[in-house]
Amino acid sequence: MKITILYGTETGNAEMLAEDIQSELEGGHDVDCLNLSDMAPSDFDASRLFLLVCSTYGDGELPASAQPFAEAMAAEQPDLSALHFAIFGLGDSEYDETFNHGPKKLAELMQAHGAHQIGERVAHDASGADMAEDLAFPWAEEVIALAGAALGEAA
Amino acid sequence: MTAGKIAIVGAGPSGCFLAQSLLKSAPGLEVDLIDRLPVPYGLVRYGVAADHQGTKGVARQFARVFERQGARFFGNVTLGRDITLEALRGAYDAVVLAAGLSQDRPLGIPGADLPGVHGAGTLTRALYDHPDAGGLPGLGPRPLIVGNGNVAIDLLRLLAKQPGELDGSDLGPVATGWLAQSGIEEITIAGRSPAAQAKFDTVMIKELAKLSGVSIRVLGAGSSDDPAEQKKIDAVQALDGIATGPRRVTFRFGLTPVAVVGHSHVEAVRFATDAGEEVVPCTSVLTAIGFGPSGDLPREALLADATDAGAGALAPGLYATGWFRRGPRGTIPDNRADAQALAARILDQLAPDPAKAGRAALAGLAQAVDYTGWTRIDAHEIKAAPEGRCRAKITTREEMLRLARHQETPQ
Repeated sequence: MKITILYGTETGNAEMLAEDIQSELEGGHDVDCLNLSDMAPSDFDASRLFLLVCSTYGDGELPASAQPFAEAMAAEQPDLSALHFAIFGLGDSEYDETFNHGPKKLAELMQAHGAHQIGERVAHDASGADMAEDLAFPWAEEVIALAGAALGEAA
Repeated sequence: MTAGKIAIVGAGPSGCFLAQSLLKSAPGLEVDLIDRLPVPYGLVRYGVAADHQGTKGVARQFARVFERQGARFFGNVTLGRDITLEALRGAYDAVVLAAGLSQDRPLGIPGADLPGVHGAGTLTRALYDHPDAGGLPGLGPRPLIVGNGNVAIDLLRLLAKQPGELDGSDLGPVATGWLAQSGIEEITIAGRSPAAQAKFDTVMIKELAKLSGVSIRVLGAGSSDDPAEQKKIDAVQALDGIATGPRRVTFRFGLTPVAVVGHSHVEAVRFATDAGEEVVPCTSVLTAIGFGPSGDLPREALLADATDAGAGALAPGLYATGWFRRGPRGTIPDNRADAQALAARILDQLAPDPAKAGRAALAGLAQAVDYTGWTRIDAHEIKAAPEGRCRAKITTREEMLRLARHQETPQ
């Protein structure tokens, strides 16, 4: 499958996880990994599955590297109705009121432009016991399996 | 691949982010991080609050800088004592000062040297088992925190917590016992600015709503026409009336400290207010009003003579990043952005000289702790964690050095 991993990061933790997912998937798939700050909405290619990895920053906001992307989406209003994405969130339950609000906002932004979310939004908790990759690798496998039919090819 | 040898002084978040960024762009570089402590990560280990383990998660990135990107750690090496800045500059193509700012900015008012006045940095280093820290002082039943930033809020939260609320932290047994027996009845936190301009982050305020043993009052938070400011005010105001327990917490704003009052010990602080003057009685004063340099490096002179201080260029081949350059403002990710910008500038200007000795200049330092040494300390600390804690920090240099040198049980 052709996959693009897009990450929105502030501290670099989401970037590290995105790179780990890329390494994990590379053996069986054609995988790109890109910072959301370098992604133009016009570059979305419906033949690829987009795996979004995004943190939360400040008071439940998108992380710094996702903000220019959100602005570009607002300005360009792309039609993403043929696009499929899945999303993995990084957060810290210490700040429970805004826990994983960043990825939630990003998912809503994609859906508002017609993109189809595959699978559930999974959230890692930095104050919890799990390593992010231990949740993210099974999540990636699962959404790739689900996406096979949607993208018209075998996973 | 770009060759070149770069030494970074300070293995805290700014230094580690710089190494990460340099090696990502130019994997062929020799990047060495020098720290006066035998352990890396600086502020992440000794400044980020013990109950903010999620924030400390960035250390996983830093570990990779050493484990996968090839940076080398030279811990227990003090600039000026073990090697001079001049010698370091002679040995490396570029030297970056990322030593942070660790000294508490003094209150600078009459009575500020009275017993019972403590800097937040000094106190938190003692709380977080920094090997150079002194003991934990008695604060009495009514400590007064002066300051309105995240450090002040960290202190407030820790002092206000019940023992059970520290589960999952890496707070050591001495600090845990000290907090449990503090006898604190009331904590006042007084900021000079109005709530609208307070320096703390809103999330840090919202977190206080979870405290399980406090009665919170918020006085004089005011209002603002600016939506962002009003959001901050609303967050503080929302704490007013929280009553989950007996320990009283009072937020005050617009109070400028004028004098610390007391005979042989702190008894009160006199503040200037819009209405005139107010004296707030207290049993100790904790100042959290910013940080300055430790004095190991001539920071003022270096910045004054800098080629381009704003971009971190001090002199040919000499740079500064993080708090050491920008002053005590900005969070860990702000300093990551700083480090990334500086990495691009260094790589642009780098003119590698093959004659430079690089890390060979540090080879004679027998006391230096390498990254493997740190992993031994780290493994020991994690293994020794008691119930309710994620780590048991080693508290002395001697024990750190002993563990660093001796392979423990095989892993």
